[in-house]
Amino acid sequence: MGRYVARRLGQLIVVVLGATMILFACLFVLPGDPVGQIAGSDKARDPAVIKQLHEQYGLDEPLVVQYGNYVGNLVTGDLGEDYTQGRPVTEILVPKLGNTAKLAVFAIAIDIVIGIAVGVVAAMRRYSIWDVSATFVTTLAIGVPSIVLGMIMQRFFVVELNWFPLIADGSFKSMVLPAVTLAIIDAALVAQLARSAMLEVLRADYVKTAVAKGLSRRTVLFRHVLRNSVIPVITYLGISFGTLLGGAIITETIFNWNGIGLALIQAIQQNNNPIIVGVVTISVAVFVLLNLVVDLLYAALDPRIRLA
Amino acid sequence: MRGARSAKWVAGAIVIALAATACGGSDDDSGDDNDSGKAGGTFRMGITEPVAIDPYNAQESEGILVTDNLFTGLYEPTSDGEVVPALATSKEVSSDGKTWTFKIKAGTKFSNGEPVNAEAFIRGWSRVAQKSAASDVAYHMAGIAGFDDVQAGKADTLSGLSAPDENTLQVKLSAPDFEFDIKTSHTVFSPVPEAAGDAKNKTYNEAPIGNGPFKMQGKWEHNKSITLVRNDDYGLTKAQLDTVQIDILNANNGVTLEYQGFESGQYDWARMPTPQLPTAKAKYEPQDEWIQQDTNGMNYLLPITDNGPMKDQKAREAVSYAIDRDAIIKGVFQGMYTKSTTILPPVFQDVYQKDLCTSCIKQDKAKAKQLASEAGLEPGSTLELAYNTGSGHEEWIQAVQQQLEDVLGVKVTATGKPFAELLEDQQKSGATGLYRYAWGADYPTPDNYLFPLLDTASINKDSSGNVTGDNRSRYSNKAFDDLVAQARASNDPAARNELYKQAEKVAMDDMALIPLWNRTQLRLANTKEFANIEMDFHENPNLAEISQK
Repeated sequence: MGRYVARRLGQLIVVVLGATMILFACLFVLPGDPVGQIAGSDKARDPAVIKQLHEQYGLDEPLVVQYGNYVGNLVTGDLGEDYTQGRPVTEILVPKLGNTAKLAVFAIAIDIVIGIAVGVVAAMRRYSIWDVSATFVTTLAIGVPSIVLGMIMQRFFVVELNWFPLIADGSFKSMVLPAVTLAIIDAALVAQLARSAMLEVLRADYVKTAVAKGLSRRTVLFRHVLRNSVIPVITYLGISFGTLLGGAIITETIFNWNGIGLALIQAIQQNNNPIIVGVVTISVAVFVLLNLVVDLLYAALDPRIRLA
Repeated sequence: MRGARSAKWVAGAIVIALAATACGGSDDDSGDDNDSGKAGGTFRMGITEPVAIDPYNAQESEGILVTDNLFTGLYEPTSDGEVVPALATSKEVSSDGKTWTFKIKAGTKFSNGEPVNAEAFIRGWSRVAQKSAASDVAYHMAGIAGFDDVQAGKADTLSGLSAPDENTLQVKLSAPDFEFDIKTSHTVFSPVPEAAGDAKNKTYNEAPIGNGPFKMQGKWEHNKSITLVRNDDYGLTKAQLDTVQIDILNANNGVTLEYQGFESGQYDWARMPTPQLPTAKAKYEPQDEWIQQDTNGMNYLLPITDNGPMKDQKAREAVSYAIDRDAIIKGVFQGMYTKSTTILPPVFQDVYQKDLCTSCIKQDKAKAKQLASEAGLEPGSTLELAYNTGSGHEEWIQAVQQQLEDVLGVKVTATGKPFAELLEDQQKSGATGLYRYAWGADYPTPDNYLFPLLDTASINKDSSGNVTGDNRSRYSNKAFDDLVAQARASNDPAARNELYKQAEKVAMDDMALIPLWNRTQLRLANTKEFANIEMDFHENPNLAEISQK
């Protein structure tokens, strides 16, 4: 087990290095000097200022040297300085990462609670009105793009009804709408996934045995059915935690949530390469770590799975 | 330079069909309009993240909003294109135009108690000019003697600045400039206290201590908020508002959020997404909450005049005649812009020569065709039209493309590129055809359009023939250059304006730029709760004059 974790962490380093290398190559061969123009204007910078900025950010060095410096600093946790305000990338991204994580955890909680609850009810009452409505609503939720849902909710609950603050201030109240927007598609998928996994497990011999043994309905459901049907759901959630970043770009933009999704999209628009590389490096690391956690969870939930 | 963010406010617009049924705004008009407001109140608004709020590098409208309210310099620009004295009590310029002497109002203080004297100005200006500051706005100081030495790191203080006594600032320039007083209205010419340290002092960058009508409450919460409170020790007319709460919104959705904030009563000032403009106008104009103003900015097509199909003046005029500006303004901009018929913006009232560009007044297909054929711009030939993507320019560019193709029979290749790439292309020696272009002046003088955009000295080609100056059309005409030089050498503002008008006419007759529409700015303002709200020179609310009703 210890060796397994160590090996996976070793892989993490390789993946992060690979990702930064590819990104570096892509970003720095793009046409246009990243500090050649004043942000958002038609105007080229004063050549003297450009020269000074090149020195300051090490852009006058060959690409290979720049990459070497970047990796060297990365080891010490230094992600460089951003190009528009000259602030350290870690100082910019750490609070944003915290904000995105808050939102993602909230969203995952919604996925788990609502998704599994709906899935369980639908499976237990198969073909009932509950099951049919659940299928209808979840299909609809999967079909509606989150940008549309987010904007409609914002219009209705914020502008018309004034129930929630327009500008996120980090309070629980201001998290509700963005988290729901972020969670809705995944929650619907989880519900469908949980339903079909439950139905499969319900037909299993050991469930019939448990019922025949005279165990209570509750014990059968929680000890036997739920525990065994939750594995595909965990696999899905593990992956979706990583892809939440993609959704976060849209959600954070609509609700002005100060997270890394928003940071990434703005950095791309401004050619702010250090932020782009920083966000991607962090996301890759988070994604790999989460996959490791998911794999470890399998082993905990299903003793048949052995990690080696 | 505040550059061309002309369509930035369109960028966040996402069309979504929802009926606006709510009663936005706030309660009924309790009192009738009266300008005798009372002190107090919190004014709330949203902006996008500024580059800097420290005068050393504050540059765009958002950064200047904050800096301008934290600092007060010698002169201030007004919304109608003039400058008025702020801390300056008198000015004097030598007959050679190279020495300026300003008297500064005595006894005013920074909010930390340090005196605002001539030394504070010398300190502030020198701090910007230092090389390590890498300031985007330092070039405004380039005319002050000793600038090069400070830039090169050979000196810390601009040698051209001196303080004959506590409240007298003497400025020696390296070349004559009779408009230097106007330039000092830019926030980069603010005084700073000793506490400021150098330009890289992060503590000060995030929470500047100034001498303006407002001061910072706490520090700049990046991407979140900036809060200003009234400076009760302000040396000039004190502000009325207690607090200004500025939320920092993201650039992609900020306009929509501002508008929704205004509708739900959470903001007192807002921009609007373009598709919502007609609805917003219909609703808020009758309530007197709608502000529509042509500001300091112009939108042009930039012809490359030294190369390719736009080399001939007649070809440029043909393009201008072929464009139906009225149709585009009605169809694309919901009728909210005004047509431009000059190089200088209408806000410069003293020099505005309406309809100077005759080909801009009305589309004339016959004239366009005739001029094109005289210029050898034959049907079937190709014309490049380049613009930057992601800023809402696509629609009107398509309209222009179609009109040029319909009228002139040419093949127009419209190419959208990211901004940085477009700029690089525009500067290259082989550039040809037409480019989207926009310009806004840093301070209210015609010179700040005519010289950088059109003077031969502003082409500034480097060794490989790339243009490094702002004259991207590569326009060069000795008659024009001479008129600008004469204007610059004149100490009489009226005579100077006359010469600038003549210079503008020369460039306009040459069609050195093809005017499209003025920079029309639209805002919603909460006039129910606040009195005296206006849009200032930087397109911001005039926070220092607003009062509660």
